Amino acid sequence: MDTSIGSEYDSLREEIRSFLTANEDVAVPAGPGFGGDASQVRARTLEWQKRLFDAGYAGRTIPKRYGGAGHEPDALASLVIEEEFQNAGISLGMENQGTGMFVPTLLHFGREDQKQELIRPTMRGELIWCQGYSEPGSGSDLASLRTSAVLDGDEYVINGQKIWTSGAREADMMFALIRTEADAGKHGGISYIVLSMDTPGLDVRPLMTMTGDASFNEVFFTDVRVPAMNVVGRPGQGWEVGTYTLRFERNMLGRSSTTESYLAGCVDILRETGLIDSPVYRDRLLKLEGRVQAMKYHQLRLLTDRLKKRDSGAGGLIVKLNSCQLNYDVCALAIDAMAERGVLKRGSKHVRDYGNWQRNYMYALGLIIGGGTAQIQKNIIGERGLGLPREPKPAAA
Amino acid sequence: MDFGLTQPQELLRDSIARFLAQDVGIERVRRAMDSDSGRDEAIHGQLGDQGITGLLIDMDLGGSELGMQEAAIAAQELGRAAAPVNFHSSYVLAPLLIAGADAGERRSALLGGIAEGRTLLTPILDAPIENGRIDGSVLYLPDAAWADAFLLEDGGSLHLLDATTQGIDVEPLQTVDDTRRVAEVTFSDVDLGAAQNLGGNSDSTRRAVHAAQIALAADALGAAQKGLHIAVEYAKERKQFDRIIGSFQAVKHMCAEVLAEVEPVQSLLWHTADAWDGGSDEIDHLAPLLKAHATDVANHAVTMTTQVFGGIGFTHECDMHIFYKRAGYDRQILGNPTALREQAAAVMYG
Repeated sequence: MDTSIGSEYDSLREEIRSFLTANEDVAVPAGPGFGGDASQVRARTLEWQKRLFDAGYAGRTIPKRYGGAGHEPDALASLVIEEEFQNAGISLGMENQGTGMFVPTLLHFGREDQKQELIRPTMRGELIWCQGYSEPGSGSDLASLRTSAVLDGDEYVINGQKIWTSGAREADMMFALIRTEADAGKHGGISYIVLSMDTPGLDVRPLMTMTGDASFNEVFFTDVRVPAMNVVGRPGQGWEVGTYTLRFERNMLGRSSTTESYLAGCVDILRETGLIDSPVYRDRLLKLEGRVQAMKYHQLRLLTDRLKKRDSGAGGLIVKLNSCQLNYDVCALAIDAMAERGVLKRGSKHVRDYGNWQRNYMYALGLIIGGGTAQIQKNIIGERGLGLPREPKPAAA
Repeated sequence: MDFGLTQPQELLRDSIARFLAQDVGIERVRRAMDSDSGRDEAIHGQLGDQGITGLLIDMDLGGSELGMQEAAIAAQELGRAAAPVNFHSSYVLAPLLIAGADAGERRSALLGGIAEGRTLLTPILDAPIENGRIDGSVLYLPDAAWADAFLLEDGGSLHLLDATTQGIDVEPLQTVDDTRRVAEVTFSDVDLGAAQNLGGNSDSTRRAVHAAQIALAADALGAAQKGLHIAVEYAKERKQFDRIIGSFQAVKHMCAEVLAEVEPVQSLLWHTADAWDGGSDEIDHLAPLLKAHATDVANHAVTMTTQVFGGIGFTHECDMHIFYKRAGYDRQILGNPTALREQAAAVMYG
């Protein structure tokens, strides 16, 4: 076993430390301690994202011709960056549908002109994206989606409805799965289309989530005209393109340093309240500690698989299921330790950490559901990881 | 960065697994289980021939001078096979206690005997020694009914006492896990002078106990993995309502949950064994945390996988109960999860 990272990365560490010092004024803290006025939070998050991208810490491997730092993919460099930011308690920037999902997909499937136009502003936080996948009738069974487009000259005309669209009101752009061929089979007739949120015929209606944020939306399409050029990949290739993106979502939802920073915040609360000396709370804390440590080293195992270009098999399939539940359980302990203070929400007098614990407690539950529900994850683990048979299709009614 | 087993370690794992599959199959395990004593006398020599008993013993004494990672590999495979041997005690705790004691001829002979699988010692931590007399009862001692000698530890110093010494009474106890047995040993005012002082120190005792805890965690992990394996195989064959039961989400999700819990334990085990080998301070909280977490997960795993079998899972005929009980023994011995979490908490949070 060799868990060393090698002295060739020492200069990278130095570089990160100087960068963090030089940008102290804007650096966004990681974990529960950052919050306050929403527009200020947003402005600072965007500014921090710009600096991270320009310095090559966000989107590190994006080629220079698209404005990136053009580094070779290097899992160890990523680990060093994650470690240094974690030690400094600083956020690694925006992990959203644009940076985490759209850009990797575009790099893989996109045309040169699409990459030139969209990657740089997306990575710098100047173009905010939302994901148009789920529909009222298509949740876990995503491929049954019905929002459809017909070709009219060199434009698609889209009609239908998307739902659970996070951030649609703030977004500048959407990438969406649209049925462009009616009789090409369930998975065959779907295309991956990008469109501006300003396009006439789009109607965004907010849906209030349980966290109190209107972060979800319904998006209605009424004769929305989009250039046919806006397809990423080939028309009809959308299922492949769109599910390639979902792999990034599974990774996005499972970064162990985030869980560790929340657990550290939880320990702070237990110390402040004196509950760290309560055997009951200690036992709960240590149960979480065991799970967090196990996931932390599990990630090193997966990293090693990546370095060796080896398939992690079932090891990779369990990350989303475990990490989301673990994040939820860490927040639950923190809320519990706050006792009656735990009823307060953001904006209230006496609230701790800007209400981030209460928000994340619920947001983590949303993530257990989102990006493939826990139950869908268990199907995937059971079928692909353990080779158990799929559920037979019910006989047609 | 290369987190995980090295190629030689993978080869070791495969060769131990092969040996156990060929020579210590489930029929042999069941013979030991069903016998009154639970003893499989031949296994120690065979494990010696395979180099499994001498993993932690110096090469010039007949061992292979490897580390905790290799010992954990062996323990995990022995757990997977439910082999009738108290590896954590006889081949981890005992040799490490002796290795940490003063040099001398006796030490070499003992370690040489252990490496060959000829010498079987039962360590007794915190032995009832006072004013030069050994007096009192000690419970739950692995393999004590047929040990050649007892290794008495008292405040870091070690004393070797022949099992045939006058004034020692050994009474086997009945264990739920039939694959490993324990006994009560009563010393009736035995003169400490009858024992041989081997020296020793409390640091090496602590390290030896950590190693034994890691071995028990590895054993539990192996048992849980085997339990999941046989349950999944069953779920792929058994039909009810004209369907393979593994296609029912109720069954599939139980198996998936178990896999999701068990899989990361492997990484925590590797890391903890590595921390032990590297002499890291982290081991003071990692060893108890690992044993607590691994045995908790393993016990939950076998609880779920037993249910995959339905009624047959509750029978003696089905092998599942062997792994269920195996994980239970690993949980109880050398610190249960709740006690160990408190130990880890004391190190981490004061």
